[in-house]
Amino acid sequence: MNEPKIVAFLCTWCSYTGADTAGIARLKSPANLRAIRVPCSGRVSPELIMRAFDQGADGVLVLGCHIGECHYDTGNHRAAKRIPTLSALMAFAGLESERLRLDWVSASEGERFSRITTEFVNTVRSLGPINWRADPKRVLALSHQLAKAESVPYPENNCASKTDSIRAKAKELLASGEVGCVIGYEVGPRGRTRPTFIYHDDDVERLVWNPDCTHNLTTYLPDKVSMSGALMAAHRKAPPKPVAVVVKSCDARAINVMLAENRFPREKVHIIGVVCEGVRAKDGSLQTRCVSCTERAPVIYDTLIGEAPSSIVNRKSGIELGIQTLEAAPPAERMEYWLSQFDRCIRCYACRQACPMCECPTCLYERDDSLWIGLGIGVNQKRAFHLGRAYHLAGRCVGCEQCEQACPMNIPISLLNQCLAQEVEKSFSHRAGMQAIPSPVVTVLAGEYKES
Amino acid sequence: MIAPKLINPTWLISQTTLENWLDSLAKTRSLIAPRDVDGVLLYRPVENSRQIKWGFTRPALSAKEFFFPSTERLLKIEKTGQQVTLLETLPENQTILFGVRPCDMRGLQTLDALFIEHAPTDPYYSRRRENAIIIGLACKEMGSTCFCTSVGGAPDNSDGMDVALYETGDSYLVQAMTEKGLTLIPQTEWSLTDEIPAPAKQDAPLYALPQQDSWPAHFNADYWEHLSERCLSCRVCAYVCPTCRCFVIRDESLTVPGQFERIRCWDSCTSLNYRRVAGGHRQRANQNERLRNRFYCKFYYYPEQYGLGKSSACTGCGRCVDSCPVNIDITEALIELARLT
Repeated sequence: MNEPKIVAFLCTWCSYTGADTAGIARLKSPANLRAIRVPCSGRVSPELIMRAFDQGADGVLVLGCHIGECHYDTGNHRAAKRIPTLSALMAFAGLESERLRLDWVSASEGERFSRITTEFVNTVRSLGPINWRADPKRVLALSHQLAKAESVPYPENNCASKTDSIRAKAKELLASGEVGCVIGYEVGPRGRTRPTFIYHDDDVERLVWNPDCTHNLTTYLPDKVSMSGALMAAHRKAPPKPVAVVVKSCDARAINVMLAENRFPREKVHIIGVVCEGVRAKDGSLQTRCVSCTERAPVIYDTLIGEAPSSIVNRKSGIELGIQTLEAAPPAERMEYWLSQFDRCIRCYACRQACPMCECPTCLYERDDSLWIGLGIGVNQKRAFHLGRAYHLAGRCVGCEQCEQACPMNIPISLLNQCLAQEVEKSFSHRAGMQAIPSPVVTVLAGEYKES
Repeated sequence: MIAPKLINPTWLISQTTLENWLDSLAKTRSLIAPRDVDGVLLYRPVENSRQIKWGFTRPALSAKEFFFPSTERLLKIEKTGQQVTLLETLPENQTILFGVRPCDMRGLQTLDALFIEHAPTDPYYSRRRENAIIIGLACKEMGSTCFCTSVGGAPDNSDGMDVALYETGDSYLVQAMTEKGLTLIPQTEWSLTDEIPAPAKQDAPLYALPQQDSWPAHFNADYWEHLSERCLSCRVCAYVCPTCRCFVIRDESLTVPGQFERIRCWDSCTSLNYRRVAGGHRQRANQNERLRNRFYCKFYYYPEQYGLGKSSACTGCGRCVDSCPVNIDITEALIELARLT
């Protein structure tokens, strides 16, 4: 008989004492519980839980004080917000949601402790061990199903007049000295559209607007505003000037998230918002995120280029269909699907580097001490990285899909991000970046903005 | 029997014969060939020739991953009581790589200079090279981002391959290039031919390479700062490159108590923490220094150190051009540098 390994995080004030109470009362509780004493259930970060699963736990139990009885007032509120969100992500990645449980046990509730732990161990025992392995045949079937999403043709729109307006605005801003740099798009010699940085008003002719303006330029914004880029050194002699940036509707929401996280002050950025008809994928059709875009006009801007549409066709994109297909599949198949996808990852970190939200100076998953994840490129490490990164974007991801665009291995990263975005919207009525409000789930400890 | 004067005996075979041959080879050794994996073309182990993707330009990752894998165990360390045992883990797998393009082959030859030809020899890499037989496939024409002709290569260059294949209409010309390659060929079943492979369609070189001795003069050029401004500091360019070979080594614990492994993983000069040392000092702290290193390494440092002479460590496969998310284009940089000279 397989005995499951259970990791239990017990809050020292209530649940750990509750376990003692159960012991003193000689109540039976399962022996395969590995108890870890923590100061508060709010201390149990999702990374710890994911790490426990990575290290071979079959189930993770988090026990804290009842709501209203936290010794730190709101520590257990954090647990109550985080763990259901994490559970949704883990379930989407193929872990049965019964394997992760959050509950409350007070110091006097020895009987409750015994009951919850026995119940949990029995549930996990009936699920059996976690099998992080993929069956190629079943994976193939699922990925064919996902690939079927219909493509929407790219709509006609007047890019030339938008290009002219962007150039005129950039010229005006640079000539008047209102901004020191304009971040926009240019077309390279091979005809590919790419980010560009304009410092002089004679260079504005390089700026363009076209159906291939896919990059989210706000990724460059914090560095440019704080003048930490190498090229900005030359300009550092003069007092730093604000930076103008060309944004689409999804990019504009990223600015809102950045403002909420104090990455830079509002007055340091001049937002040139462009009413966007969507951008093209490699095959010429509309990119998936643009199919279901409900904004078109940026939610925040200083200058608006183009006219906001009066009505928007509400369409389902391949992402929503993909999430539905995956959610309908049994957990084992979902896990196989994701492992087969992560297996292609080469850990080049292009997804992270292209993401405007990934801003940690040293990524948790790239630390030298290998505390969270090893250096290797095994499927377990890749799974830990992708799921961890997805969780860090809960309530922050604006769905600009830069991660997926940058991925050289075609990993459908945005499915993970959008699954979490849906979960956060359902539970907290929060949609990232609609206003400058921080994520209700992930706390970002961004310092105060400082001028260098 | 082959007459000794014929150094490179050539056979003409049909697509079916080729597939049957590959099927029989797959039974004896592990066969690695281009395969479509969820829309990405990669060199992957195949069980039979039906899994092979035909008519490709080049896979998204180069063949280097089978000789210098993204993660490789160098040692296994076991601690029992006071006793520490180090176990060397050399790769033993006998492989055949099918469909290696000339640019990838040149990539391997470039890596040979570092890992085999210059002491100390890397036992892991050289063992893999010894255990592998390479069946190359010459290109009929160049892909849209290929530029091998600009860096001294050619789409139909068969140097270094054990067996070279050339497409001629519906059939293939098979040329045995080495003794090792010859052992694979069922000589009694196939008929020799005098046909000479038709030269591939070559695009004119995009540019003249900047002279090797002109590189130091551009070290402090403003161009690097302009070029690196949009660089995201990801590692795509290095990981898809057939000749990038930076690595990091770390000891990590295994799940069994008392067991550890020493692993070697890919690294890239474009990444933020490249060559960070104790105390947190970063030798290339700025993006422009890191990106510049990539170009200098390909065209100046590596050829200089490992005696490649006039040829560069770039094979012109164009993978970095294809996969850079922000369109940092190596050919554009070379044209710009040639202009500066």
